[in-house]
Order: sequence, then structure tokens, then C-alpha cells
Amino acid sequence: MQANSAIAGLRALLAEKFPAAPPRKSGDALPTGLADFDEKHGGLQRGVVTELHGSTGHGALFTAAMMEHAALAQHYLALVDAGRTFDPGSHAPHTLARLLWVQCTTAAHALKSADLLLRDGNLPLILLDLQSLPLRALGRIPANTWHRFQHVAAETTCAFVVLTPQPIVEAARTRIHAENRWNLGSLTLRRKELLGGFALQASARGALNEQRIA
Amino acid sequence: MFAVLILPSFRLSAALRWRAELWDAPVALVEKAGAKDIVVACTPAASAAGVRSGQPTPQALARCAELLILPPTPAQERALDAALLEVAFSFSPEVEQTAPGICTVDLRRAGIRDYDAWAKTAADRAHQCAKNVQLGVAENPDLAFLAARNARQILVVKSARDFLTSLAVQELDPPPQLLGILHDWGIHTLGQLTALPRGELADRLGPDSARLWERAAGRTERLLRLSRVPETFAESAEFEYEVESTEPLLFLLRRFLDSLTARLAGLHRVTERMTLELALEGSQRYERDFQVPSPTADPSVLFRILETHLETLRLEQHPVGLRLVLASALPSHDQFQLFENTLRDPNRFGETLARISALVGGGSVGVPVLEDTHRPDRWRLAEPRFHESTKTTAPALPMDGIPLRRFRPGFSANVQIVDHVPAFIVSEKALGAVIKAGGPFRLDGGWWDARDTWTTEEWDVELADGSLWRISRTDTAWQLEGSYDESALPAAKSNIVPFRAV
Repeated sequence: MQANSAIAGLRALLAEKFPAAPPRKSGDALPTGLADFDEKHGGLQRGVVTELHGSTGHGALFTAAMMEHAALAQHYLALVDAGRTFDPGSHAPHTLARLLWVQCTTAAHALKSADLLLRDGNLPLILLDLQSLPLRALGRIPANTWHRFQHVAAETTCAFVVLTPQPIVEAARTRIHAENRWNLGSLTLRRKELLGGFALQASARGALNEQRIA
Repeated sequence: MFAVLILPSFRLSAALRWRAELWDAPVALVEKAGAKDIVVACTPAASAAGVRSGQPTPQALARCAELLILPPTPAQERALDAALLEVAFSFSPEVEQTAPGICTVDLRRAGIRDYDAWAKTAADRAHQCAKNVQLGVAENPDLAFLAARNARQILVVKSARDFLTSLAVQELDPPPQLLGILHDWGIHTLGQLTALPRGELADRLGPDSARLWERAAGRTERLLRLSRVPETFAESAEFEYEVESTEPLLFLLRRFLDSLTARLAGLHRVTERMTLELALEGSQRYERDFQVPSPTADPSVLFRILETHLETLRLEQHPVGLRLVLASALPSHDQFQLFENTLRDPNRFGETLARISALVGGGSVGVPVLEDTHRPDRWRLAEPRFHESTKTTAPALPMDGIPLRRFRPGFSANVQIVDHVPAFIVSEKALGAVIKAGGPFRLDGGWWDARDTWTTEEWDVELADGSLWRISRTDTAWQLEGSYDESALPAAKSNIVPFRAV
């Protein structure tokens, strides 16, 4: 399994370096570094909108996992932080060095920034964190926004993940649900230990993605 | 062999550089001389109508009623002179800036065998700078100068004697008194002059005549006063009117970039930084530097950077002048690690960042860098340098727990303390009994500076609903600093999108 993961990583790297290469086969994904998730699903699907919904802790821990893996795989990622709640002090400096942090105060700015980064296509992973926004603000985002994101993402090799408190991204091709419970003792655990037990359940939408995830 | 590049009507060429259509119209460049305005140069159409250099403006207008009067443009003259010098440097590293609009190039070590073919190629390159550049090639600098001055576009002198024989003596700009004497003697061409014995001529007319004879014979030798390769490349334009929209600026910037990058390409250099300067009404100036993420000589890439900036630029005064300066560098060739990912198109990424900065504010985008302090929430945003080979050198420090989501600003809270431990919290975000609390984590610093002394006491608390928070106390005020995990919010049915797993 480790060899498969290494080959998948190598494919991802080659695709990054040589974008003009023949089109990717189904199953091409960006590893997350979360062993269980990568084993089951291969990682985050590129060229599609993925939604991760759960409590705010899930979003923060998922972001930390992505940053850790980006430092390991030596790629970059962007975090579009809609509520300006990202705390650099909670992350190691070597992971911060690979993060582009975009602080936004409104959903409109966050969506526009994510759209620009997605169209740019330079970064392999873009996280749009909407978990800190009030549900009322999220409810005002038109549904066609997500379809437009899906359309743009399909033209890129980026993995695009929207972090939400509840399922709101209608066009999401993959939806990840997290239901971990933590207590005060969890705050003293090593993060590696926490990530080891970080359970994510993904479900796919549409025949194409069903094949990919399978 | 030496080559000389000459730009005839240099000052007029500079004034009409970005308005080439005016070459076919009657135009005169007028300069103040004492109390009068005097014509210093004019286009062929103006000459045909009787306008001449040295005429006062009213007289010139009397000869040609449609005459367009232009003032000198010193900034454009400097830019054109620099452009000509850069073209000269693309032929040889040994170049003399002889006079405004005149460059002399030493070709002796350039290894050229066919000077006719070379001259055609060189002239094509020089015409990118200005259409009316004349090129002369000859065995010494003075002869090359005469060749350039008498060239239609290109003149390669193979036999100095044949070339000089028929030239008028005035071509050498002799002193007027000497010229008068020579004319009285019936000497009108350089061939007639060199037919006279040099020594006897010098005995009768003095050392000036000996130097004139040497030049007429094409035998003068002199050392060039070598110039240095310019590190910056600039173009500028001055407007006769105030510019009220970005279109004219963008139009000119595109032409500037086409010209500048062609000159850079000739020197095998690329642009690493650009400076845009706008002269505004009322002697105000606007200046902005642009670092090019991946140094390039592609004008389209550079233009997009400027266009993105101008789209969002708001000025209180209208621009009346424009200057663009490119700082050049040698192209870099980075050897990246085998498994290292860098950006595919760093310049496009830079452009995207500029757009996002314009949207959310310049201080809201970047790479977070922690400051060297224990004070909570202290960091700065650094400019992303993702296009550079960045082997991470920071140690991989192990981190604990769930990352905090920090509220900026924090929410004020009322905290009930029982036995020195928080027992109940009331705030806008969190409400409930504390079932477990970790702390206190006391932090302080800045005690050495009375103005910057700080102290705080932090607690991590778990509420009855399972949510985890960080609270802090400064003096007597409590604040909700952030959350580790807020309970999943109750589902608002209207917001939930049905999703069918297949």
C-alpha cells in the first residue's frame, strides 16, 4: 500500500511538472497524508469541488493535515480564510512557509479570491474555509456559484476543498463528512496522534466520480 | 572597422517618437532663445512649406499656417539616447556615446567577415529604436561618422579615397575662416583638398588645416571614450493634456514595453523589476515598483502586471507624464530538486496575487511568518516567493492538539470563577457551564519597555455541550480568544442541500 501511495505521489508530481502530458486517468488524486483516507480514496480528487463539512475543529485539523503534507511533499497550498480565524501560532513554521493565506472578511471576497486562485492554476491545493461565517451569510451564496466553481475546477489540476459547517455546496462532486469528538485532553495530544485517529467519510456524486473514488 | 549610428533631427525624433504619424505633417520643434521662440528643427513637410531652422515662430507660421508647434521633450530625448546606446551595445561591448543621437561602435573584435550583411542586420535592429537611424561603417571612427551622415540608411565604406573624394569640405565642419580661404582657392571637395601637399598647407594656414587635411584623407585615429552597459532601461512620454482614463496610459505602456524588451533581448537580458512613474498635475508624482516574480523579456507578461495595477489605481490628480523604467538582469537558470514543486507560471501567479490584493487589501495576502515573541497572535505576512527553489530549512517542530481558530477581535466574556477556576461562561459566542478547564497559562513580556509591557492569563475550557474554547484574562477583563471546536450547529433545514450518494 505504501508503494501505491508513492506511485500516486510520483504521478501527481509528474502531472504538476509536465502539464502538457497526456490526460490523467481516473483515480488521479492529491494525497492528503491521512493514511486511512488516502488508502480508501487515494486522496483529494483533482479538478473537482470537494466539500468537507463538520464542526470548526474538523476544518482546522484538516487544514493542519494539508499543511503538514504540503511541507512533506514540497508543494504549496492556499487557504482562503473567510472569517480571518486562522491562527499561525497553532502551526509549525515549516508548514507556514508553504501556505498562502488570504484573509477575507466577507463571503463575497472569499469566493472571488478562491475563484482567482482556481483560475490561476498554479497551486495544487486550494482550501476555502467558510466555517467561521454565520449560516445566514452562507445561505445567501447562490447555488450557481458552486456550479461555476466546478466548471472552473474541471479545467485545472487543482484540488479544491470547501470547508463548511453544514452541507451547502450543491455542486460538490465529493463530500467529506467528519464526526470526531474531542475533549480537553485532546488538546494535549501530539497532533500526529490526533491526525492518526482523524476519521473522514467521503461520498461521491455521479458515475465518473464513483469510478474515481472506487 | 568602426560603425556609427546617427539619428538625424535627434530632438525632433524624440518629440515625435510615439507620434510617428506627425512625420508627414508640417511640424516644428520650437525652443526659447532669449525673448524669442525659435524653430530648431522641422519635418520635411514643414521644410517644403518654407520653414527653416533659426526662424522665429511668427515667421514660420507666416510661411506655413498649418504648422504644428511642439516644445522640446528632454525626458524623451534622454530615453531615445539611452535606447540608441542600448542598440549599439547589442553590436559590441566597446561603445562610445559620441553626442546626443550619435553612437560609435568598435567592431574590430566582433569577428565580422561580411560587413554588408552585418550592416543590414544591424540596421534592422536599430530601426526598432527609431525608423530614421542611419548607419555608417568604415575603418576609423571619423570616417564612419562621415559615412553615417551621408548614408541613406546604410553605407559601408570600402575605399576611403573613393568615398571622400567627392565629399564637400563643409562635411568636416572646418572653422569658417579656413573654409573661406579654401573656397577662395577653389577648393570645394575633400579630393581637391588632399591633392594639396599637407606640409605646405600647414605652413600657410596653420595646424587646423593640417588636422583638416588628415581627416579629409581618412587617416585620423582616436581612442573611443567607452560607455558602460546601462542597468536600467527607461521610456517616457509627456502629455500635452491631462489624461483622464487608463486607455492612453495602457496604449503607451504597451509600446514602451515592446521597445524596451526588444532592446533587452538584444543584450540577452531580462526584466527583474519595473518602476512606473506618473507625473501628476500640480508637480505631484506617483511611483510604484513591481518585482517581476520570474524575470522575463516577454512584453505581454510585463504588460499584464501593469494593466492589473492600473485597473485598480485611483488618483486624485490626472497624469500629465509617464515614465517606465525596467531594471535588467541576466536570465537565471535554477536547478530544482527532483521532487520539488514550484509554480508553473510564476508571473501569472504574481498577477493573481495582485488582483487578490486589490480585492481584499494588500496586507491581507501572504505567507504567515511568526514573530519572535511569546505574545499571542503575533505574526506578519511575507511576500510569497513560491517560484524560487525553497528547500525548507525550518525544523519540523511537533505541534500539539487541535489548531485554534482565533477571533479577531476576541469576544468580551463574563466568566464566573469558583475555586480559582472558570466555572461558567457567558459571551456572544459561548454560553454554558465549564466541565473541565486547563490552565492557567500565564504569559507576560515587554517588561523592559514601559510602553509595551503585556501580561495575560489563558485558559482552555470545555463546556457542557462539548465545545472547546480558549479564554484569556488581562487585568480583570475576560475575553473569548478563540475556539478549538465548536459543536456542530443545529441544522437549519433550508440551508442543507440534499446529497445522494451513488
